[in-house]
Amino acid sequence: MVAIDTLSHALDRMRPRLLGIARLQLRNDTWAEDVVSETIVAALEGAARFEGNSQLKTWVVGILKHKIIDQFRKNARELSIEAHTEAAQAESFDELFAASGHRARPTADWGDPEAAATRNQFLEILQLCVDQLPANLGRIFMMREWLELETDQICKELAITQTNCFVMLYRARMRLRECLEHRWIQTQATSA
Amino acid sequence: MKRVLITCQETHRLLSEHMDRPLPLGMRLRLKLHLSLCHVCSRVERQFNGLRSAIRRLGP
Repeated sequence: MVAIDTLSHALDRMRPRLLGIARLQLRNDTWAEDVVSETIVAALEGAARFEGNSQLKTWVVGILKHKIIDQFRKNARELSIEAHTEAAQAESFDELFAASGHRARPTADWGDPEAAATRNQFLEILQLCVDQLPANLGRIFMMREWLELETDQICKELAITQTNCFVMLYRARMRLRECLEHRWIQTQATSA
Repeated sequence: MKRVLITCQETHRLLSEHMDRPLPLGMRLRLKLHLSLCHVCSRVERQFNGLRSAIRRLGP
């Protein structure tokens, strides 16, 4: 168990980052403030169950994930309307393919993703790319990959069809690939 | 998608969908065949997987 003062201080420092995550997920400042405050209160209340500083992040992020999922449930109707709008939008990256569906140009590699993923710089760029996704793609992608929800749960929360869900996740992954490709290779070129 | 040979675009869609649900056997086989022939799509598969493991490492 850690001293409440120490924990409180650590949580304060984490707050901006927690808010960033919550905003990305919820796209609503009030809801984001709410879930972060609830998370911090829950963390302080649960301090007795928390041991040592090493897993503080993991532990707090775990609480935040639950609070975000709760918030999704409470606001399911408003979320679903936005999700429909995004799903109906035309896509631009299909232009990467020739009309036949074959790849118009080979893509550059960003190296071994497993090795690259361990590097902080890579994670920073990834964060940047996620932040740049269109709002609803970013949210659905993070629901799937970061909150690790199954697609049928996501469909239920957002009231969209499975097909829509798969298409949106596909678009998000393709956009992230493109973004990582450009930015990561730029970084490698300047540091080489 | 009745053809045995699928395009790169179809392959990318299937690769993504496969991360979200188990694909029917026929689709999995077409996917496997395409990946064995196409190094560009094999790279996309690695990138999608790398993306997933990296996202799980994101945090405050």
